[in-house]
Amino acid sequence: MLDKSPQALTAAVAADAVRSGLSAERGVVYVYEAPVRLWHWINAAAILVLGLTGYFIGSAIPTMPGETSDNFLFGYIRFAHFSAGYVLTLGFLFRIYWAFMGNPHAKQIFYVPLWRKSYWREVWHEIRWYAFVAAEPKKYVAHNPLAQLAMFFMFTLAIAFMIVSGFALYAQGTGNDSWQYKLFGWVFSIWPNSQDVHTWHHLGLWMIVTFALIHIYTAVREDIVSRQSIVSSIISGEREFRD
Amino acid sequence: MGGAAETFYGVIRRQGITRRSFHKFCSLTATSLGLGPLAASQIANALETKPRVPVIWMHGLECTCCSESFIRSAHPLVKDVVLSMISLDYDALIMAAAGHQAEAILEEIRAKYKGEYVLAVEGNPPLNEGGMFCIDGGKPFVEKLRAMAEDSMAIIAWGTCASWGCVQAAKPNPTGATPIDKVITNKPIIKVPGCPPIAEVMTALVTFITTFGKLPELDRQGRPKMFYSQRIHDKCYRRPHFDAGQFVEGWDDESARKGYCLYKMGCKGPTTYNACSTVRWNGGVSFPIQSGHGCFGCSEDGFWDKGSFYDRLTTIRQFGIEANADQIGMAAAGAVGLAVAAHAAVTAAKRLTRKPGRVAQEK
Amino acid sequence: MGAQTPNGFKLDHSGKRIVIDPLTRVEGHLRVEVNLDSDNVIRNAVSSGTMWRGIETILRGRDPRDAWAFTERICGVCTGTHALTSVRAVENALGITIPENANSIRNIMQLCLQVHDHLVHFYHLHALDWVDVISALKADPKATSALAQSVSSWPLSSPGYFKHLQIRLTKFVESGQLGPFKNAYWGHPAYKLPPEANLMALAHYLEALDFQKDVVKIHAIYGGKNPHPNWLVGGVACAINVDGTGAVGAINMERLNLVSSIICRSIEFVEQVYLPDVAVIGSFYKDWLYGGGLSAKSIMSYGDIPENANDYSAKNLKQPRGVILNGNFSEVLPIDHGDPEQIQEFVAHSWYKYPDETRGLHPWDGITEPNFQLGPNVKGTRTDIKELDEGGKYSWIKAPRWRGNSVEVGPLARYIIGYVQGKAEFKEPTEKLLKTLDLPFAALFSTLGRTAARALECQWAAHQMRYFQDKLMAHIKTGDTATANVDKWKPESWPKEAKGYGFTEAPRGALGHWIKIKETKIDNYQCVVPTTWNGSPRDPNGNIGAFEASLMDTPIADPEKPLEILRTIHSFDPCLACSTHVMGPDGQEMATVKVR
Repeated sequence: MLDKSPQALTAAVAADAVRSGLSAERGVVYVYEAPVRLWHWINAAAILVLGLTGYFIGSAIPTMPGETSDNFLFGYIRFAHFSAGYVLTLGFLFRIYWAFMGNPHAKQIFYVPLWRKSYWREVWHEIRWYAFVAAEPKKYVAHNPLAQLAMFFMFTLAIAFMIVSGFALYAQGTGNDSWQYKLFGWVFSIWPNSQDVHTWHHLGLWMIVTFALIHIYTAVREDIVSRQSIVSSIISGEREFRD
Repeated sequence: MGGAAETFYGVIRRQGITRRSFHKFCSLTATSLGLGPLAASQIANALETKPRVPVIWMHGLECTCCSESFIRSAHPLVKDVVLSMISLDYDALIMAAAGHQAEAILEEIRAKYKGEYVLAVEGNPPLNEGGMFCIDGGKPFVEKLRAMAEDSMAIIAWGTCASWGCVQAAKPNPTGATPIDKVITNKPIIKVPGCPPIAEVMTALVTFITTFGKLPELDRQGRPKMFYSQRIHDKCYRRPHFDAGQFVEGWDDESARKGYCLYKMGCKGPTTYNACSTVRWNGGVSFPIQSGHGCFGCSEDGFWDKGSFYDRLTTIRQFGIEANADQIGMAAAGAVGLAVAAHAAVTAAKRLTRKPGRVAQEK
Repeated sequence: MGAQTPNGFKLDHSGKRIVIDPLTRVEGHLRVEVNLDSDNVIRNAVSSGTMWRGIETILRGRDPRDAWAFTERICGVCTGTHALTSVRAVENALGITIPENANSIRNIMQLCLQVHDHLVHFYHLHALDWVDVISALKADPKATSALAQSVSSWPLSSPGYFKHLQIRLTKFVESGQLGPFKNAYWGHPAYKLPPEANLMALAHYLEALDFQKDVVKIHAIYGGKNPHPNWLVGGVACAINVDGTGAVGAINMERLNLVSSIICRSIEFVEQVYLPDVAVIGSFYKDWLYGGGLSAKSIMSYGDIPENANDYSAKNLKQPRGVILNGNFSEVLPIDHGDPEQIQEFVAHSWYKYPDETRGLHPWDGITEPNFQLGPNVKGTRTDIKELDEGGKYSWIKAPRWRGNSVEVGPLARYIIGYVQGKAEFKEPTEKLLKTLDLPFAALFSTLGRTAARALECQWAAHQMRYFQDKLMAHIKTGDTATANVDKWKPESWPKEAKGYGFTEAPRGALGHWIKIKETKIDNYQCVVPTTWNGSPRDPNGNIGAFEASLMDTPIADPEKPLEILRTIHSFDPCLACSTHVMGPDGQEMATVKVR
């Protein structure tokens, strides 16, 4: 059931491809191109910085001793947060660009084929695998369908929300005449009291922390348990199938 | 200024406004009311020959703090505002008339100054119980409000009550108190939030309209940009302590005595748009942060329902659970963490039970 | 129907009915209806609070440390006094003590409110009941100057000063745009002042308008702003740092000096302008001694201004505490706010519902459910009331009673109780003023008495500010600069359940808050405020409240222009937003919660 539409390169299709062409012997597929890998690690670093500094912006650090003019710690924390925010945003924009320019797998985190029955079958299989019901996982070149689901909702949408709400909050400092406010000020039409935007932005942090936990765990686990490489793939770019 | 009756035009000319900008105001007013260019010249003519702008000041469900604040104005003095700048023809708080003589004024102004008076509203109308949680002249206040809004030139929403709903609209809002822009939708409304707004901000807004002859530029939420475009935090004199990371950790501690930042005591300066840290209060004497208490965001929408004023993070009330973003996030991350650990344990156990066989095979 | 009320008033509602709504120059929304006999004398009076906001409903489930801010918004005129009552209630419930400095600062703020509120009330809400603005235009500035200088050494008293003012006023009036002075009862026969006294009073109306904004700067210094300064459970938020690092960001010498200078100016203004004006007005109206109402019978004062911190017993309170019932001035009865038999609220004639409306409920156990029902004899419709029916429910105000008695509260009650208790600081100035006006003690039981007591209290409060400011300075001198007690700031340190009450003497009279705390949140909150006492409708036994009582038997010169009614009602300084507080639509549910 090869679909010729632009959305054809779904996990399901990729999986089909794996099954039909590559699984015969221990194969190696080039999945994550260099720009995607570079983006992944820069993005990870930015999220780490944003998470830590963001937490301390919400729940402030213990008071600093000494002269006020000698201290700028909270300023630096916020500066780091904003800088990392810019890095994350530019990276995200680049990643969107690469979704169009890169290989078919580069599009995967930006959509979920919710309308496709076969997709849901695959998701169901993955759930059975993680619930220890299915004995063997299927093999996928890129993200498995369940991972794609998580990626889209817990990462792509969450990061997009964080970028929009983050820039809206940033615009409070840069002022009503800034480009940040012109681009993102509409957020305050949804939440007139910006305290709400802070709250949701803060909840977003925890969404991403939760995502990171699952992401890292499953990556490591699958690397060990399943029949394919995961962790090394995002370094080398190659997915190795072990059986 | 010849003649006893000082006209609006006379007053604004004396304040240094050119004839040209006066006419600009008139066409602006005409446009904002959806009238044609002919109406502009009519308005101009009216203001040149007709006297000071009549102001009708109405009270709904409120606490009168806006009126009290208004009379605190140091510049201009409120006596000068009332005697020389506007014609405060109806304000139940200070007017000498009462009963049907007072009610007659409303009818008179509405007929005589159709489309020329400013309606200033303090408080808001309750809509539950047929509006009878606020009865004025035997009838629901909301009726009177709608009627007077109909023929007004522009409407000023004084304070957080009229702008956002304020305390009586806090959950569960038993009276159905409703901000006026939800009741009047066909007139320009200037929101001047704050509980109350700063006196000099109030008089500045009124005199801006009478002096420059136009309505001020408003922001996305209908507030005058001149006073509400920056946060308390942006101009707070304790801001250097914020950037340095020097915070008050408890009331009357060493940091409080040194005047450090009140961020950790729940100060809402970083999310509150108002002029407190620049204009300050009561003739510039102080403002909440300067007197040691954090800002609690009284000019912001729904500020009563964001959890304790002393918490940094908003309380989120859902499904009967009360927590802030950190508590919810930690709980979620913790739960996921536990699930991950459990899952890992099961995975390991499964592998271990399977491994001996495999290992044996390989040997 | 000529009915005798248990508290001794003969009601007859057969005569011509007149309605005043809105009754202006009060905080909030008030309606008054009276019946006149053939001689235009009031034989039946009905006062109705016509707004309800449900603040106490809103308070349920919130952090008790925030309650002061919510209750402060009950009223922006007596701003701060609800907040003080609230922090006292929370401290009482949780057993929190406050430092001496905090007590002094709170007292200064409360007294500052009294000075400000009395001043604004007299000049801007009440004076126009005695002063004819239009008549002032006919005054001779020279004679006005002579009058002013004969009663006071206030410097703004030259003929030129009054002349200039008169010209400005004339221009204003001739413009035809009378603003707040439009459509009033000018030229009414009940105005008794000569043109010169009117002009002098009007000058002071404007001067007081200028000055009142300075009085409240004290609130701005200690509380950050006014209206609605900030308060704190456990003390005050403003830290004291007189000479250490960072003193410029705290209460320092400059701030203390500013407070001091405002206190000096306040004393000056009250003694050189307000009191002489009241004496002059009193001298022209001393034959008009109507409006006494309940003041000669039953009065109450909770007392306030604790000398030392954390002691709210009668002997430690500078303002008198106690109740006088049925004109028995030889006995001042003690008050216990926690006694369920003493303070109770009734709703038989209020727009609320009780399971048994013949009984009253103590605030801790108060239940409320709005119940907007009009009596059978009402004229008009549900949303267009022409005449109320006082036989049914007719007000958003509940009817609080002390041991079943309706009582009057306010400055006059405080002064009478202080007088009969023989407290020199209340007795001597009262006697002096009565002597100046050549009036007997009984003249106090009147509209004029209420107005005069307020003026005397304003002077007393101004001097007390000085006293507590000096006390604060002396205490700082000993090296103690503590302003807050944070031992029980964190909710984790609180008991699972607690209840308490707090009280103050608001400018308008006795104010009490009752709180129940459960698992660190407010479980029940009730306020019983001065205008609820004074403006209360009838109770199930038919006792009328202080507003209604005060209007009885007053002759009205012109029923079309009932100036006399305004005068007497204003003398109470009604505050409707305060009085019409109480619980919400789910009050019934609260009752079941409590039963469990």
